[in-house]
Amino acid sequence: MDTLNLAWLLVAIPLVSSAVLLLLGRGSDAWGHWLGVLASAASAVLAIVILVQLLGLGADDRTANVHLFDWIPAGDLTVSAGLLVDPLSVTFAILITFVGTLIHIYAVAYMSHDVDRRRFFAYLNLFIAAMLVLVLADSYALLFLGWEGVGLASYLLIGFWNQNTEYAVAAKKAFVMNRVGDMGMLVAMMAMFATFGAVDFDTVFGAADGAGEGAMTLIGLMLVLAACGKSAQFPLQAWLGDAMAGPTPVSALIHAATMVTAGVYLIVRSGPIFEQTPTAQLVAAIVGAVTLLFGAIVGCAKDDIKKVLAASTMSQIGYMMLAAGLGPIGYAFAIFHLITHGFFKAGMFLGAGSVMHGMGDEVNMRGFGNLSRYMKVTWITFMAGWLAIIGIPPFSGFWSKDKIIESAFVGEGWQPWVFGTVALVGAGITAFYMSRLFFMTFHGKARWNDGKNDLPGPERTPHESPALMTVPMIVLAIGAIGLGGLLTIGDSFVTWLEPVTGHVEHHEPVLPIPVIMVTTIVLVLLGAGLAWRQYAASAVPVAPPTGSVLTRAARADLYQDAVNEGVFMRPGQHLTRTLVYTDTAVVDGAVNGLGSGTLGWGERLRRLQNGFVRSYAAVMLIGVIGALVVVLASRV
Amino acid sequence: MSLVNYLVLSGILFSIGSIAVLTRRNAIIAFMGVELMLNAANLTLVTFGRLHGDLHGQVIAFFVMVVAAAEVVIGLAIIVSIFRTRGSASIDDANLLKS
Amino acid sequence: MNQFVPPEIDWAALSPVLIVLGLAVVGVLVEAFVPMRARRATQVVLAVVGVGAALVAVAWRWVVVQDEGPTAVVAGALREDAPALLAQAILLVCAFVGLLVIADRSSGEDAFAPAAAAIPGSAYEAEARKAGLAQTEVFPLTMFAVGGMLVFPAAADLLTLFIALEVLSLPLYLLAGLARRRRLLSQEASLKYFLLGAFSSAFFLMGIALLYGYSGSVRFDELATAVPATSGLDGMLLAGVLLVIVGLLFKVGAVPFHSWVPDVYQGAPTPITGFMAACTKIAAFAALLRFVYVVVPGLQWDLTVALWVIAILTMIVGTVLAVVQTDMKRMLAYSSVAHAGFLLLGVIALVPSGISSVLFYLLAYGLATVGAFGLLTLVRERDADGNVTGEALHLSQWAGLGRRHPVLAVCFTLFLISFAGIPLTGGFIGKFLVFGAAIEGGAWPLVVIAVLASAAAAFFYVRVIVLMFFTEPAGTDADPGTTVVRTEGLTAVAVVVCAIGTVLLGVLPGPILDLTASATKFML
Repeated sequence: MDTLNLAWLLVAIPLVSSAVLLLLGRGSDAWGHWLGVLASAASAVLAIVILVQLLGLGADDRTANVHLFDWIPAGDLTVSAGLLVDPLSVTFAILITFVGTLIHIYAVAYMSHDVDRRRFFAYLNLFIAAMLVLVLADSYALLFLGWEGVGLASYLLIGFWNQNTEYAVAAKKAFVMNRVGDMGMLVAMMAMFATFGAVDFDTVFGAADGAGEGAMTLIGLMLVLAACGKSAQFPLQAWLGDAMAGPTPVSALIHAATMVTAGVYLIVRSGPIFEQTPTAQLVAAIVGAVTLLFGAIVGCAKDDIKKVLAASTMSQIGYMMLAAGLGPIGYAFAIFHLITHGFFKAGMFLGAGSVMHGMGDEVNMRGFGNLSRYMKVTWITFMAGWLAIIGIPPFSGFWSKDKIIESAFVGEGWQPWVFGTVALVGAGITAFYMSRLFFMTFHGKARWNDGKNDLPGPERTPHESPALMTVPMIVLAIGAIGLGGLLTIGDSFVTWLEPVTGHVEHHEPVLPIPVIMVTTIVLVLLGAGLAWRQYAASAVPVAPPTGSVLTRAARADLYQDAVNEGVFMRPGQHLTRTLVYTDTAVVDGAVNGLGSGTLGWGERLRRLQNGFVRSYAAVMLIGVIGALVVVLASRV
Repeated sequence: MSLVNYLVLSGILFSIGSIAVLTRRNAIIAFMGVELMLNAANLTLVTFGRLHGDLHGQVIAFFVMVVAAAEVVIGLAIIVSIFRTRGSASIDDANLLKS
Repeated sequence: MNQFVPPEIDWAALSPVLIVLGLAVVGVLVEAFVPMRARRATQVVLAVVGVGAALVAVAWRWVVVQDEGPTAVVAGALREDAPALLAQAILLVCAFVGLLVIADRSSGEDAFAPAAAAIPGSAYEAEARKAGLAQTEVFPLTMFAVGGMLVFPAAADLLTLFIALEVLSLPLYLLAGLARRRRLLSQEASLKYFLLGAFSSAFFLMGIALLYGYSGSVRFDELATAVPATSGLDGMLLAGVLLVIVGLLFKVGAVPFHSWVPDVYQGAPTPITGFMAACTKIAAFAALLRFVYVVVPGLQWDLTVALWVIAILTMIVGTVLAVVQTDMKRMLAYSSVAHAGFLLLGVIALVPSGISSVLFYLLAYGLATVGAFGLLTLVRERDADGNVTGEALHLSQWAGLGRRHPVLAVCFTLFLISFAGIPLTGGFIGKFLVFGAAIEGGAWPLVVIAVLASAAAAFFYVRVIVLMFFTEPAGTDADPGTTVVRTEGLTAVAVVVCAIGTVLLGVLPGPILDLTASATKFML
């Protein structure tokens, strides 16, 4: 059976499930969440079947175009909706559906006390469907549909508990910042249409090397802008921290594993465009490098466990963006790190949720400590994720991150030195703040009131979470441990992606590889050791100490909100006020003038319709005679 | 005897019919004006039939007569119902729907 | 003496018309022979089955014509080509939903007078109402009208056109007089429609006579070849063509032949208004398209000025007069005059895409119209004792309807948005296509005026939407002046079908666009 042509079911099943859950309303509250889980699981199974089928084909045959329907026939622009099933899209599809299903299962227990649980699952399914449209699309237009869809789902889910105004504001912030990125996407698509006359991948990539470099650079830069918005990269990164207001499964699925990686997908998929524009590639790499440091610095100072994980997500995606900006040598590694990151970050978020669940929804790590005694499974699974992210061999993060650092050191001139050093330093800082998180939460002395000690605060009874929550964490931990090694054997993952990324010869980095590897591990151990000394071995103050200038700045997200307000918001408000004034004066004036003119004429004309048949007949006769006169007189 | 005379006659009949529709207040007379216009057209058709030398005009005129008869049925039914309601067949009285 | 050779008649090609007319005749027999209790159900079933079967037959003929090409039927009196079949299909779809609205009843009462012959306000009428009589001739009359409308777009000679015109008009004259309430208005509407309709038929017939005189034939193909050939007599030709077009423009409701439209739409029973507004326009425009595209191309330089002026006047007068209306049916009547103006743009364009664009617009407009008028039948007044009486047609009575009856208000908003031509509805795509065809045909000043008129028209559509959703309703919740009745459900089905159709045409127009794109040539 040719399952490739059934790829549309991947989207259709969760979409229909979402619609059913929304339309049936309260009636489906009792079983709605199971329908959501089932829909996601069905997509996961189908994705795996498609993967198996693709593996069975030869390397050159692993691309299938599944045409769906003709979407927009508008003159010269014919957009047809279709799916592109190839190694890259299937990889993403499996990540989305597999991790997504695990998180669905987790959410059944996590949201069990919430009255709106069914609606939550409807939105989750909507998100899965939209994200799958994004990665399976065969044209930028359909990709944009999925892009907007995930933005919508993200808004709905961040603001799920919108009874709390802060959460609703956070959702709005995420949505508005994403719009800026979306504008980039639209401009890129318009430029593509102007240059190539089409926006589907085959046409655009086939003609990319013939187009002018200016056009390509514009498209590339706009795509980078779009990626920055969706993936929370500098300068559009301010929304990710606030997005943690949503329920933890949302943070795990959307803001760790999938939606925020859409930007990286976009850049890798648009490889043929970026080939033509070294400028845009450099910008992408710089953005990635800046963000990876930004996120790392912010993560060192945050006390909210979810916000640290958010900062770490930002930083890891910075790594992926850096790799993608390095060109074909980096594409495969960006995706590799994306996959491993999906597993360990989602696992850690679920672990954080488990900790919050056990500690009465507390998020401040200064109120944790010594939880490894009470939540064994959570501790072990979180440890797997922690070791993976800081890059300890043989865990998965080591394989993927190390390859990125090596690739960062490839090149000529200043670039390999700057990028490579940034990546190295970032690895060290990552080790520090992630270890800080781990030790503050699970080790050291308990800083919470357990009913027996004299500490202030509400009494907490940390306990292990139910099986529905721990089993997904275990599965993700297994992935965090083994996936990296598994996919590196024989370079299988890189070879798998070659039909999309192209075959790249191995380049030597400017520093020998063993040197890089050793330096990385040394920095990592240093960072972890520092964190151990400060947070496990010594007492952690419950009230946050004043700290240095850098610490205060990092706590305030490096003043990102102030910058946004000063640079964008206030001038934007002035501009809006001017436009509103112009609109009222000029446009409304014209429209109202048209309106009153119409009314005036209307009053005068209605007197013709006086209710007498004979006058109607007279008007008709006059009309006929008039027309006859005009026609007969105008002929020569 | 030129056939154009018939055409002129039909033109005159058509005009008289239109004027009847426009000026007469009684619904039945106004409708008679319409019938007059239809018959003027019939005359035109027959005349042209004669001019062209075939019978098409006459055949068409037959059809028109049938149609006119059907129209009379409907028209008189409507006029009679109005007359029974109001007691007069004046079309000017029917001016509730206006402007 | 020549042997009389009877013409070959392709009965299969005539099947849609035969089904409808045949079932109409059966309906008349049902009136005579079926006992009173079973009569209504039988008639409704016959009518609905008839229109449905005709639609299936048209679909079948479409497939046949796509395979074998267009043909002349009944010795050249009719043409079975793609535009004709498509127009018939659109017509039957709108007639089907229109029939559902006509057949619907609320609390056992339909929209028609229980005894049409009774004098309004008399004791006989009251007794007829109490006895629960129903004027079920409505259904065979509607079927006869539909039969005439089916022949109208396919007619290929002027005589068939004239007969089809009369067959479709005469039942409509009667149907307009059959309203249950406000019977004086209804009878007046019937009288006005009849007199003005007969008047315009007379002009139409005179036009036929002149054309026959000019060319010796009434067939379109022979007229088309005669047009460029003979000169010197072309005064007669031009006058004849113009008078025929005037007759068709009357049916369509173009200015200055539109005076009947507001009065008749307002006075007729609302389901009949919906049916008329949609189906008559579809049939008349399809016939107008055929006549103009087949016969007029050789004459277009002479007729352009007149046609342009008529189109401009229609758009402007329709919009301007709709703005000052306070009665819902009258407002929708003037709005349909404006739509006739927009459709005329496609007719004037004289390019192949004009045909397909007009047909698409007719479908979108037809569905929205039947839906809108169907919803109008549901909104009723309530008197002081809580009895539901007639329809609430004054604009002020619709205030706040969105709060109390959100589903109805949302559906009505959808139809109004389609009329206004706002994207994501069929109306927008239709307008876009027609304006595109007009520009292609070189009539861009008309398009400019059309766009301005559309903008002005949005005002009175949006006014209703604002009234429904953003105004305080009159009366209290316990004693609302306006209420929405429950019916037997047929109107709800019709409205849902129309709403889904309107949205699908706006969001996924692809399949229908493909269908209309294959209907761009009239068979000569």
